[in-house]
Amino acid sequence: MAQTAPETDLEQTLSWETPWVTIVWNDPVNLQQYVTWVFATYFGYSPAEAERLMLLVHHEGKAVVATGERSDMERHAEAMHDYGLWATVERGAS
Amino acid sequence: MIPWSRDGLELVARFTRVEATVLADLVEQSLRIIDDSVSAGPHSPRDPALARLLPTAYPDDDAAAEAFRSSTEGGLAARKVANAQIVLNTLHAGTVRLTPTDVQAWLRALTDLRLIIATRLGIEHDDDPGHGDEFLAEVYPWLGYLQGSMLEAMEA
Repeated sequence: MAQTAPETDLEQTLSWETPWVTIVWNDPVNLQQYVTWVFATYFGYSPAEAERLMLLVHHEGKAVVATGERSDMERHAEAMHDYGLWATVERGAS
Repeated sequence: MIPWSRDGLELVARFTRVEATVLADLVEQSLRIIDDSVSAGPHSPRDPALARLLPTAYPDDDAAAEAFRSSTEGGLAARKVANAQIVLNTLHAGTVRLTPTDVQAWLRALTDLRLIIATRLGIEHDDDPGHGDEFLAEVYPWLGYLQGSMLEAMEA
């Protein structure tokens, strides 16, 4: 039988868990075919998912392409810059 | 040019003398622009194209942006220069044959080149053909065609 846990601050606990995100922004230069290829090649998305994300970027102006630890999100942003895409890092919606 | 086609793991295309010369010249210019950014100090005026080649990762947080910039910019610039160099090493008039590694470098270098030219032409929105330099305005879509042809060949 489990013991009642001591009082904890749930919000404090959850704030450590709020993931960070990498966002890719639309730009007028990159070919749609190229962006789709980058998403599939680098992140390993399926062709269908890569295209879906590319279209999201194209129509909405941006899309979240990854979530997780801040250091990983920065690594992904740097990789996107390697490919000539523009990516930024921020806290995900909590 | 004869656009890219696949031959086993390699990509093959044919460039005229004019095309090869023009492309090599542009890639050389881009290499110099990127290379200069590395040797310039942090407070030197930067080519506006660099704002797009080496963009910020934190547009709303100056401190985080600076930390990211200082830890990534040198490596990014060095890799972009290396990609441009591979293009220069493999490009020539006539039949060009690229290994998969070469192709990776070409795709990235062509993107960097398009980003620089788009900055020069003031292209800010989708479907904006840009204005100003007539030569660049003609070369820009050709580079898009070159890159698109490469991606088509890879997926063939």
